[in-house]
Amino acid sequence: MSDHHGPNFDYQPALPISNGKTFMWLFLSTEIMFFAALIGTYIVLRFGAIAWPSTHDVHLAEIWGATNTFVLICSSVSIVLALEAAKKNKSSEAKGWMLVTFMLGVVFLGIKMYEYNAKFSHGIYPQHPHSDIYEKPDVYYAQAVRMRVNALKKELTDNTERTPEQDAQLGVLDDIAQKYLDPAERLIRDNPDSVEGRVKIFELADVIYPRASVHEHHGGASHATAENPSPFRLVAAEAGADGGGHGGMPVGLNDEHPWLKLPIMIPGGNMWASTYFLVTGFHAIHVIVGLIAFVFLLLMTLDRASAGVIENVGLYWHFVDLVWIFLFPLLYLF
Amino acid sequence: MSATDNSHDHHEEHSHTQLFLMVFLALCALTTVSFLTYFDWWRESVPQKVSWLVMMAVSCTKAMLVIMFFMHLKWEANWKWVLTAPVIFMSALLVFALVPDVFYRMSHASHDRMIYAAERPAEEAHADGHDEAGHEEEAEAARPAA
Repeated sequence: MSDHHGPNFDYQPALPISNGKTFMWLFLSTEIMFFAALIGTYIVLRFGAIAWPSTHDVHLAEIWGATNTFVLICSSVSIVLALEAAKKNKSSEAKGWMLVTFMLGVVFLGIKMYEYNAKFSHGIYPQHPHSDIYEKPDVYYAQAVRMRVNALKKELTDNTERTPEQDAQLGVLDDIAQKYLDPAERLIRDNPDSVEGRVKIFELADVIYPRASVHEHHGGASHATAENPSPFRLVAAEAGADGGGHGGMPVGLNDEHPWLKLPIMIPGGNMWASTYFLVTGFHAIHVIVGLIAFVFLLLMTLDRASAGVIENVGLYWHFVDLVWIFLFPLLYLF
Repeated sequence: MSATDNSHDHHEEHSHTQLFLMVFLALCALTTVSFLTYFDWWRESVPQKVSWLVMMAVSCTKAMLVIMFFMHLKWEANWKWVLTAPVIFMSALLVFALVPDVFYRMSHASHDRMIYAAERPAEEAHADGHDEAGHEEEAEAARPAA
Protein backbone atom coordinates (compact mmCIF):
# COMPACT_ATOMS: atom_id res chain seq x y z
CA MET A 1 0.00 0.00 0.00
CA SER A 2 2.57 2.56 1.04
CA ASP A 3 5.53 0.89 -0.65
CA HIS A 4 6.46 3.91 -2.74
CA HIS A 5 7.31 5.99 0.33
CA GLY A 6 10.52 4.20 1.14
CA PRO A 7 12.12 1.83 -1.33
CA ASN A 8 14.59 0.55 1.30
CA PHE A 9 11.91 -0.22 3.80
CA ASP A 10 11.76 -4.01 3.77
CA TYR A 11 8.24 -4.38 5.04
CA GLN A 12 6.26 -7.60 4.83
CA PRO A 13 2.52 -6.89 4.98
CA ALA A 14 1.71 -10.53 5.68
CA LEU A 15 3.25 -13.98 5.46
CA PRO A 16 6.02 -13.98 2.85
CA ILE A 17 4.14 -16.41 0.62
CA SER A 18 1.44 -16.06 -1.99
CA ASN A 19 -2.17 -15.74 -0.92
CA GLY A 20 -2.98 -19.04 -2.56
CA LYS A 21 -0.34 -20.88 -0.58
CA THR A 22 -1.41 -19.19 2.64
CA PHE A 23 -4.96 -20.25 1.98
CA MET A 24 -3.94 -23.80 1.17
CA TRP A 25 -1.98 -24.14 4.40
CA LEU A 26 -4.84 -22.67 6.42
CA PHE A 27 -7.22 -25.09 4.71
CA LEU A 28 -4.88 -28.00 5.40
CA SER A 29 -4.75 -26.92 9.04
CA THR A 30 -8.49 -27.39 9.30
CA GLU A 31 -8.22 -30.66 7.42
CA ILE A 32 -5.61 -31.99 9.82
CA MET A 33 -7.95 -31.33 12.72
CA PHE A 34 -10.87 -32.88 10.82
CA PHE A 35 -9.03 -36.13 10.24
CA ALA A 36 -7.43 -36.09 13.69
CA ALA A 37 -10.96 -36.08 15.11
CA LEU A 38 -12.13 -38.89 12.82
CA ILE A 39 -9.10 -41.07 13.51
CA GLY A 40 -9.24 -40.34 17.24
CA THR A 41 -12.89 -41.35 17.35
CA TYR A 42 -12.10 -44.51 15.44
CA ILE A 43 -9.43 -45.42 17.96
CA VAL A 44 -11.77 -44.86 20.90
CA LEU A 45 -14.55 -46.92 19.34
CA ARG A 46 -12.26 -49.67 18.15
CA PHE A 47 -10.35 -50.21 21.38
CA GLY A 48 -13.40 -49.67 23.55
CA ALA A 49 -15.42 -52.25 21.64
CA ILE A 50 -16.12 -55.53 23.36
CA ALA A 51 -15.71 -57.39 20.11
CA TRP A 52 -14.06 -56.28 16.90
CA PRO A 53 -13.89 -58.35 13.72
CA SER A 54 -10.53 -59.42 12.38
CA THR A 55 -9.67 -57.99 8.98
CA HIS A 56 -10.40 -61.26 7.23
CA ASP A 57 -13.75 -61.65 8.99
CA VAL A 58 -14.91 -58.65 7.01
CA HIS A 59 -13.10 -59.47 3.77
CA LEU A 60 -10.45 -56.83 4.19
CA ALA A 61 -7.23 -57.91 2.48
CA GLU A 62 -4.08 -56.25 3.78
CA ILE A 63 -2.33 -56.59 0.46
CA TRP A 64 -4.74 -54.13 -1.16
CA GLY A 65 -4.18 -51.61 1.60
CA ALA A 66 -0.43 -51.92 1.14
CA THR A 67 -0.80 -51.61 -2.63
CA ASN A 68 -2.85 -48.46 -2.22
CA THR A 69 -0.22 -47.02 0.13
CA PHE A 70 2.39 -47.67 -2.52
CA VAL A 71 0.19 -46.11 -5.23
CA LEU A 72 -0.29 -42.92 -3.22
CA ILE A 73 3.41 -42.64 -2.38
CA CYS A 74 4.21 -42.96 -6.09
CA SER A 75 1.66 -40.28 -6.91
CA SER A 76 3.20 -37.97 -4.31
CA VAL A 77 6.56 -38.38 -5.99
CA SER A 78 5.15 -37.82 -9.47
CA ILE A 79 3.40 -34.58 -8.52
CA VAL A 80 6.60 -33.34 -6.89
CA LEU A 81 8.43 -34.12 -10.13
CA ALA A 82 5.71 -32.27 -12.06
CA LEU A 83 6.35 -29.21 -9.90
CA GLU A 84 10.11 -29.47 -10.41
CA ALA A 85 9.62 -29.71 -14.17
CA ALA A 86 7.25 -26.74 -14.19
CA LYS A 87 9.74 -24.65 -12.23
CA LYS A 88 12.28 -25.38 -14.96
CA ASN A 89 9.66 -24.32 -17.52
CA LYS A 90 9.51 -27.82 -19.04
CA SER A 91 5.82 -27.71 -19.73
CA SER A 92 5.34 -31.04 -21.48
CA GLU A 93 7.40 -32.96 -18.94
CA ALA A 94 5.31 -31.42 -16.17
CA LYS A 95 2.15 -32.43 -17.97
CA GLY A 96 3.42 -35.98 -18.31
CA TRP A 97 4.07 -36.26 -14.57
CA MET A 98 0.71 -34.70 -13.86
CA LEU A 99 -0.96 -37.32 -16.06
CA VAL A 100 0.92 -40.05 -14.17
CA THR A 101 -0.36 -38.58 -10.89
CA PHE A 102 -3.90 -38.51 -12.20
CA MET A 103 -3.70 -42.12 -13.36
CA LEU A 104 -2.31 -43.25 -9.99
CA GLY A 105 -5.21 -41.49 -8.26
CA VAL A 106 -7.62 -43.34 -10.51
CA VAL A 107 -5.86 -46.63 -9.70
CA PHE A 108 -6.24 -45.87 -5.99
CA LEU A 109 -9.97 -45.28 -6.40
CA GLY A 110 -10.33 -48.40 -8.53
CA ILE A 111 -8.76 -50.57 -5.84
CA LYS A 112 -10.95 -48.86 -3.26
CA MET A 113 -14.05 -49.64 -5.30
CA TYR A 114 -12.98 -53.26 -5.67
CA GLU A 115 -12.52 -53.43 -1.90
CA TYR A 116 -15.90 -51.84 -1.19
CA ASN A 117 -17.51 -54.29 -3.57
CA ALA A 118 -15.98 -57.22 -1.68
CA LYS A 119 -17.82 -55.95 1.42
CA PHE A 120 -21.11 -55.17 -0.31
CA SER A 121 -21.27 -58.57 -2.00
CA HIS A 122 -21.12 -60.21 1.43
CA GLY A 123 -23.90 -58.10 2.90
CA ILE A 124 -21.54 -55.84 4.83
CA TYR A 125 -23.00 -52.34 4.63
CA PRO A 126 -22.77 -49.47 7.08
CA GLN A 127 -26.51 -49.21 7.51
CA HIS A 128 -29.43 -51.38 8.28
CA PRO A 129 -31.75 -51.84 5.30
CA HIS A 130 -28.82 -53.21 3.26
CA SER A 131 -26.70 -54.62 6.02
CA ASP A 132 -27.14 -58.31 6.88
CA ILE A 133 -24.94 -58.07 9.96
CA TYR A 134 -26.03 -59.44 13.32
CA GLU A 135 -23.74 -59.15 16.28
CA LYS A 136 -24.61 -62.17 18.39
CA PRO A 137 -25.68 -65.77 17.75
CA ASP A 138 -28.91 -65.41 19.69
CA VAL A 139 -32.61 -66.11 19.10
CA TYR A 140 -32.99 -62.87 17.16
CA TYR A 141 -30.36 -64.02 14.74
CA ALA A 142 -32.01 -67.44 14.37
CA GLN A 143 -35.33 -65.69 13.84
CA ALA A 144 -33.88 -63.45 11.15
CA VAL A 145 -32.48 -66.47 9.33
CA ARG A 146 -35.83 -68.25 9.64
CA MET A 147 -37.67 -65.24 8.21
CA ARG A 148 -35.30 -64.96 5.28
CA VAL A 149 -35.56 -68.69 4.54
CA ASN A 150 -39.37 -68.54 4.79
CA ALA A 151 -39.57 -65.53 2.49
CA LEU A 152 -37.38 -67.22 -0.12
CA LYS A 153 -39.34 -70.42 0.18
CA LYS A 154 -42.70 -68.68 -0.19
CA GLU A 155 -41.50 -66.95 -3.31
CA LEU A 156 -40.47 -70.30 -4.80
CA THR A 157 -43.54 -72.30 -3.79
CA ASP A 158 -45.88 -69.58 -5.04
CA ASN A 159 -44.34 -70.06 -8.44
CA THR A 160 -46.28 -72.91 -10.09
CA GLU A 161 -43.98 -73.46 -13.06
CA ARG A 162 -40.63 -73.97 -11.45
CA THR A 163 -37.48 -74.56 -13.43
CA PRO A 164 -35.22 -77.44 -12.29
CA GLU A 165 -32.87 -74.79 -11.00
CA GLN A 166 -35.55 -73.36 -8.75
CA ASP A 167 -36.40 -76.84 -7.51
CA ALA A 168 -32.79 -77.23 -6.52
CA GLN A 169 -32.99 -73.92 -4.65
CA LEU A 170 -36.03 -75.18 -2.79
CA GLY A 171 -34.02 -78.25 -1.82
CA VAL A 172 -31.20 -76.09 -0.47
CA LEU A 173 -33.66 -74.11 1.66
CA ASP A 174 -35.26 -77.25 3.08
CA ASP A 175 -31.80 -78.60 3.81
CA ILE A 176 -30.84 -75.51 5.80
CA ALA A 177 -34.08 -75.63 7.76
CA GLN A 178 -33.79 -79.33 8.55
CA LYS A 179 -30.11 -79.54 9.29
CA TYR A 180 -29.48 -76.33 11.19
CA LEU A 181 -32.53 -74.20 11.93
CA ASP A 182 -34.97 -76.77 13.29
CA PRO A 183 -32.58 -78.38 15.79
CA ALA A 184 -31.42 -74.99 17.04
CA GLU A 185 -34.94 -73.68 17.50
CA ARG A 186 -36.07 -76.89 19.18
CA LEU A 187 -33.20 -76.82 21.65
CA ILE A 188 -33.80 -73.17 22.53
CA ARG A 189 -37.55 -73.76 22.91
CA ASP A 190 -37.19 -76.80 25.15
CA ASN A 191 -34.44 -75.45 27.30
CA PRO A 192 -33.96 -71.72 26.87
CA ASP A 193 -31.10 -71.39 29.34
CA SER A 194 -28.97 -74.25 28.11
CA VAL A 195 -25.72 -73.76 26.27
CA GLU A 196 -26.51 -76.34 23.60
CA GLY A 197 -29.11 -74.14 21.92
CA ARG A 198 -26.71 -71.25 21.66
CA VAL A 199 -23.99 -73.53 20.36
CA LYS A 200 -26.39 -74.71 17.66
CA ILE A 201 -27.16 -71.14 16.63
CA PHE A 202 -23.48 -70.42 16.58
CA GLU A 203 -23.00 -73.39 14.27
CA LEU A 204 -25.80 -72.08 12.08
CA ALA A 205 -24.02 -68.72 11.85
CA ASP A 206 -20.77 -70.47 11.10
CA VAL A 207 -22.26 -72.48 8.23
CA ILE A 208 -23.79 -69.37 6.70
CA TYR A 209 -20.80 -67.08 7.12
CA PRO A 210 -17.66 -68.78 8.44
CA ARG A 211 -15.41 -66.17 9.99
CA ALA A 212 -11.75 -66.42 9.14
CA SER A 213 -10.66 -65.63 12.69
CA VAL A 214 -12.58 -68.62 14.05
CA HIS A 215 -11.30 -71.03 11.44
CA GLU A 216 -7.71 -69.94 11.27
CA HIS A 217 -7.53 -70.45 14.95
CA HIS A 218 -8.25 -74.15 15.10
CA GLY A 219 -4.51 -74.64 15.44
CA GLY A 220 -5.10 -73.62 19.02
CA ALA A 221 -3.71 -70.29 20.16
CA SER A 222 -5.15 -69.57 23.54
CA HIS A 223 -6.61 -66.10 23.39
CA ALA A 224 -9.32 -66.15 20.76
CA THR A 225 -12.58 -67.81 21.57
CA ALA A 226 -15.39 -68.07 19.08
CA GLU A 227 -17.34 -65.33 20.82
CA ASN A 228 -14.52 -62.87 21.13
CA PRO A 229 -11.91 -62.99 18.40
CA SER A 230 -8.62 -61.40 19.29
CA PRO A 231 -8.14 -57.97 17.78
CA PHE A 232 -4.82 -59.05 16.34
CA ARG A 233 -6.03 -61.74 13.97
CA LEU A 234 -4.31 -60.62 10.86
CA VAL A 235 -3.85 -63.20 8.31
CA ALA A 236 -4.31 -66.45 6.66
CA ALA A 237 -1.03 -66.69 4.87
CA GLU A 238 -2.37 -66.75 1.34
CA ALA A 239 -5.56 -64.73 1.64
CA GLY A 240 -4.04 -61.65 0.07
CA ALA A 241 -3.40 -63.46 -3.19
CA ASP A 242 -7.04 -63.64 -4.18
CA GLY A 243 -8.73 -62.15 -7.22
CA GLY A 244 -12.06 -63.88 -6.74
CA GLY A 245 -12.54 -63.25 -3.06
CA HIS A 246 -11.93 -66.54 -1.31
CA GLY A 247 -8.35 -67.53 -1.90
CA GLY A 248 -7.93 -69.41 1.35
CA MET A 249 -11.07 -67.94 2.87
CA PRO A 250 -13.52 -70.45 4.31
CA VAL A 251 -16.59 -70.85 2.11
CA GLY A 252 -20.06 -70.54 3.61
CA LEU A 253 -23.61 -71.03 2.39
CA ASN A 254 -23.80 -67.38 1.34
CA ASP A 255 -20.73 -67.88 -0.86
CA GLU A 256 -21.95 -71.15 -2.35
CA HIS A 257 -25.43 -69.78 -3.08
CA PRO A 258 -25.19 -66.03 -3.61
CA TRP A 259 -28.98 -65.78 -4.03
CA LEU A 260 -29.50 -66.80 -0.39
CA LYS A 261 -28.27 -63.57 1.20
CA LEU A 262 -28.93 -64.95 4.67
CA PRO A 263 -28.27 -62.77 7.72
CA ILE A 264 -24.67 -63.08 8.89
CA MET A 265 -23.17 -62.95 12.36
CA ILE A 266 -20.06 -60.83 12.97
CA PRO A 267 -19.39 -59.67 16.54
CA GLY A 268 -18.61 -55.95 16.38
CA GLY A 269 -19.41 -55.98 12.65
CA ASN A 270 -21.82 -53.05 12.62
CA MET A 271 -19.44 -50.67 14.39
CA TRP A 272 -16.63 -51.86 12.18
CA ALA A 273 -18.65 -51.18 9.03
CA SER A 274 -19.69 -47.72 10.25
CA THR A 275 -16.17 -46.61 11.09
CA TYR A 276 -14.52 -48.23 8.07
CA PHE A 277 -16.88 -46.75 5.52
CA LEU A 278 -16.93 -43.34 7.21
CA VAL A 279 -13.17 -42.95 7.45
CA THR A 280 -12.25 -44.44 4.07
CA GLY A 281 -15.24 -42.71 2.48
CA PHE A 282 -14.10 -39.27 3.61
CA HIS A 283 -10.61 -40.08 2.39
CA ALA A 284 -11.98 -41.24 -0.97
CA ILE A 285 -13.94 -37.96 -1.30
CA HIS A 286 -10.65 -36.10 -0.81
CA VAL A 287 -9.05 -38.24 -3.50
CA ILE A 288 -11.91 -37.41 -5.89
CA VAL A 289 -11.50 -33.68 -5.21
CA GLY A 290 -7.79 -34.07 -5.95
CA LEU A 291 -8.56 -35.80 -9.24
CA ILE A 292 -10.87 -32.93 -10.25
CA ALA A 293 -8.06 -30.48 -9.51
CA PHE A 294 -5.70 -32.58 -11.66
CA VAL A 295 -8.14 -32.40 -14.57
CA PHE A 296 -8.07 -28.59 -14.38
CA LEU A 297 -4.28 -28.61 -14.20
CA LEU A 298 -4.06 -30.90 -17.23
CA LEU A 299 -6.05 -28.34 -19.21
CA MET A 300 -3.53 -25.60 -18.37
CA THR A 301 -0.05 -24.94 -19.73
CA LEU A 302 2.18 -26.15 -16.93
CA ASP A 303 5.06 -23.68 -17.28
CA ARG A 304 6.86 -21.59 -14.71
CA ALA A 305 3.89 -19.23 -14.41
CA SER A 306 1.64 -22.01 -13.15
CA ALA A 307 4.17 -23.49 -10.70
CA GLY A 308 2.34 -21.82 -7.83
CA VAL A 309 -0.93 -23.56 -8.64
CA ILE A 310 0.83 -26.90 -9.04
CA GLU A 311 2.52 -26.39 -5.70
CA ASN A 312 -0.80 -25.70 -3.96
CA VAL A 313 -2.56 -28.69 -5.52
CA GLY A 314 0.53 -30.74 -4.66
CA LEU A 315 0.31 -29.69 -1.01
CA TYR A 316 -3.29 -30.87 -0.95
CA TRP A 317 -2.38 -34.17 -2.60
CA HIS A 318 0.46 -34.83 -0.17
CA PHE A 319 -1.99 -34.28 2.63
CA VAL A 320 -4.32 -36.92 1.14
CA ASP A 321 -1.33 -39.25 1.02
CA LEU A 322 -0.52 -38.36 4.63
CA VAL A 323 -3.97 -39.33 5.86
CA TRP A 324 -3.74 -42.69 4.13
CA ILE A 325 -0.34 -43.30 5.71
CA PHE A 326 -2.13 -43.32 9.06
CA LEU A 327 -5.30 -45.05 7.90
CA PHE A 328 -3.48 -48.03 6.40
CA PRO A 329 -2.00 -49.48 9.61
CA LEU A 330 -4.99 -48.44 11.72
CA LEU A 331 -7.59 -50.09 9.50
CA TYR A 332 -5.69 -52.99 8.00
CA LEU A 333 -2.99 -54.02 10.43
CA PHE A 334 -4.21 -53.23 13.95
CA MET B 1 10.15 -13.58 12.20
CA SER B 2 12.12 -11.15 10.11
CA ALA B 3 11.93 -10.74 6.41
CA THR B 4 15.50 -11.92 6.02
CA ASP B 5 14.38 -15.47 6.74
CA ASN B 6 13.45 -16.24 3.20
CA SER B 7 16.55 -14.84 1.59
CA HIS B 8 18.65 -17.97 1.89
CA ASP B 9 16.30 -20.60 0.64
CA HIS B 10 16.02 -19.67 -3.00
CA HIS B 11 19.29 -20.96 -4.29
CA GLU B 12 18.60 -24.38 -2.80
CA GLU B 13 15.76 -25.00 -5.20
CA HIS B 14 17.82 -26.26 -8.11
CA SER B 15 17.06 -29.89 -8.44
CA HIS B 16 15.90 -32.07 -5.66
CA THR B 17 15.10 -34.98 -7.93
CA GLN B 18 17.83 -37.15 -6.45
CA LEU B 19 16.65 -36.33 -2.95
CA PHE B 20 13.02 -37.04 -3.80
CA LEU B 21 13.93 -40.46 -5.10
CA MET B 22 15.78 -41.20 -1.86
CA VAL B 23 12.72 -40.12 0.13
CA PHE B 24 10.55 -42.29 -2.11
CA LEU B 25 12.72 -45.33 -1.43
CA ALA B 26 12.65 -44.60 2.29
CA LEU B 27 8.84 -44.39 2.21
CA CYS B 28 8.62 -47.72 0.39
CA ALA B 29 10.99 -49.34 2.86
CA LEU B 30 8.95 -48.01 5.80
CA THR B 31 5.70 -49.28 4.25
CA THR B 32 7.34 -52.69 3.97
CA VAL B 33 8.30 -52.51 7.65
CA SER B 34 4.71 -51.96 8.76
CA PHE B 35 3.56 -54.63 6.33
CA LEU B 36 5.91 -57.11 8.03
CA THR B 37 3.51 -57.21 10.96
CA TYR B 38 1.14 -58.99 8.57
CA PHE B 39 3.16 -62.20 8.71
CA ASP B 40 2.76 -65.05 11.16
CA TRP B 41 6.36 -65.14 12.30
CA TRP B 42 6.18 -61.48 13.28
CA ARG B 43 2.98 -61.97 15.25
CA GLU B 44 4.43 -64.96 17.04
CA SER B 45 7.61 -63.24 18.12
CA VAL B 46 6.49 -59.65 18.80
CA PRO B 47 3.83 -58.65 21.37
CA GLN B 48 0.91 -56.92 19.70
CA LYS B 49 1.27 -53.69 21.65
CA VAL B 50 4.87 -53.43 20.53
CA SER B 51 3.68 -53.98 16.95
CA TRP B 52 1.16 -51.16 17.33
CA LEU B 53 3.90 -48.87 18.63
CA VAL B 54 6.18 -49.87 15.76
CA MET B 55 3.43 -49.19 13.21
CA MET B 56 2.61 -45.79 14.68
CA ALA B 57 6.29 -44.86 14.83
CA VAL B 58 6.68 -45.91 11.21
CA SER B 59 3.59 -43.90 10.21
CA CYS B 60 4.85 -40.79 12.02
CA THR B 61 8.25 -41.14 10.35
CA LYS B 62 6.60 -41.45 6.95
CA ALA B 63 4.40 -38.46 7.69
CA MET B 64 7.45 -36.40 8.66
CA LEU B 65 9.26 -37.39 5.47
CA VAL B 66 6.28 -36.34 3.35
CA ILE B 67 5.82 -33.07 5.23
CA MET B 68 9.49 -32.12 5.29
CA PHE B 69 10.46 -33.01 1.73
CA PHE B 70 7.40 -33.35 -0.48
CA MET B 71 5.57 -30.46 1.13
CA HIS B 72 8.83 -28.47 1.19
CA LEU B 73 8.55 -27.46 4.84
CA LYS B 74 12.25 -28.21 5.32
CA TRP B 75 13.09 -25.32 3.01
CA GLU B 76 10.42 -22.87 4.05
CA ALA B 77 11.10 -19.78 6.11
CA ASN B 78 9.87 -19.28 9.63
CA TRP B 79 6.30 -18.56 8.55
CA LYS B 80 5.79 -22.33 8.59
CA TRP B 81 5.62 -22.26 12.38
CA VAL B 82 2.84 -19.69 12.34
CA LEU B 83 0.61 -22.12 10.48
CA THR B 84 1.76 -25.49 11.75
CA ALA B 85 2.36 -24.94 15.46
CA PRO B 86 -1.27 -24.09 16.37
CA VAL B 87 -2.48 -27.04 14.33
CA ILE B 88 -0.10 -29.46 15.97
CA PHE B 89 -1.20 -28.12 19.33
CA MET B 90 -4.90 -28.35 18.52
CA SER B 91 -4.85 -31.84 17.06
CA ALA B 92 -2.65 -33.11 19.87
CA LEU B 93 -5.18 -31.65 22.29
CA LEU B 94 -7.97 -33.36 20.39
CA VAL B 95 -6.26 -36.72 20.60
CA PHE B 96 -5.17 -36.31 24.23
CA ALA B 97 -8.73 -35.40 25.18
CA LEU B 98 -9.68 -38.90 24.05
CA VAL B 99 -7.01 -40.65 26.10
CA PRO B 100 -9.10 -41.15 29.27
CA ASP B 101 -11.89 -42.55 27.14
CA VAL B 102 -9.61 -44.99 25.39
CA PHE B 103 -7.91 -46.31 28.48
CA TYR B 104 -10.98 -46.36 30.66
CA ARG B 105 -13.02 -48.25 28.11
CA MET B 106 -10.21 -50.59 27.14
CA SER B 107 -9.69 -51.88 30.64
CA HIS B 108 -13.22 -51.77 31.96
CA ALA B 109 -16.54 -52.97 30.62
CA SER B 110 -19.45 -53.07 33.02
CA HIS B 111 -21.63 -56.14 33.39
CA ASP B 112 -24.55 -54.30 31.80
CA ARG B 113 -22.44 -53.29 28.87
CA MET B 114 -21.28 -56.83 28.26
CA ILE B 115 -24.85 -58.14 28.33
CA TYR B 116 -26.53 -55.43 26.33
CA ALA B 117 -23.74 -54.80 23.86
CA ALA B 118 -24.79 -54.72 20.25
CA GLU B 119 -28.55 -54.72 20.59
CA ARG B 120 -30.57 -54.62 17.44
CA PRO B 121 -32.15 -51.40 16.18
CA ALA B 122 -35.24 -50.29 18.09
CA GLU B 123 -37.85 -50.51 15.30
CA GLU B 124 -37.00 -54.13 14.71
CA ALA B 125 -37.04 -54.99 18.38
CA HIS B 126 -40.55 -53.56 18.67
CA ALA B 127 -41.79 -55.58 15.73
CA ASP B 128 -41.52 -58.90 17.54
CA GLY B 129 -43.35 -58.99 20.82
CA HIS B 130 -42.73 -61.02 23.92
CA ASP B 131 -39.10 -61.80 24.26
CA GLU B 132 -37.88 -58.29 23.80
CA ALA B 133 -40.52 -56.90 26.17
CA GLY B 134 -39.34 -59.31 28.83
CA HIS B 135 -35.81 -58.23 28.09
CA GLU B 136 -36.58 -54.61 28.63
CA GLU B 137 -38.42 -55.29 31.87
CA GLU B 138 -35.38 -57.08 33.14
CA ALA B 139 -33.22 -54.15 32.26
CA GLU B 140 -35.66 -51.75 33.88
CA ALA B 141 -35.76 -53.86 37.02
CA ALA B 142 -32.01 -54.02 37.19
CA ARG B 143 -31.51 -50.28 37.01
CA PRO B 144 -33.02 -49.06 40.30
CA ALA B 145 -31.39 -51.94 42.11
CA ALA B 146 -27.94 -51.01 40.87
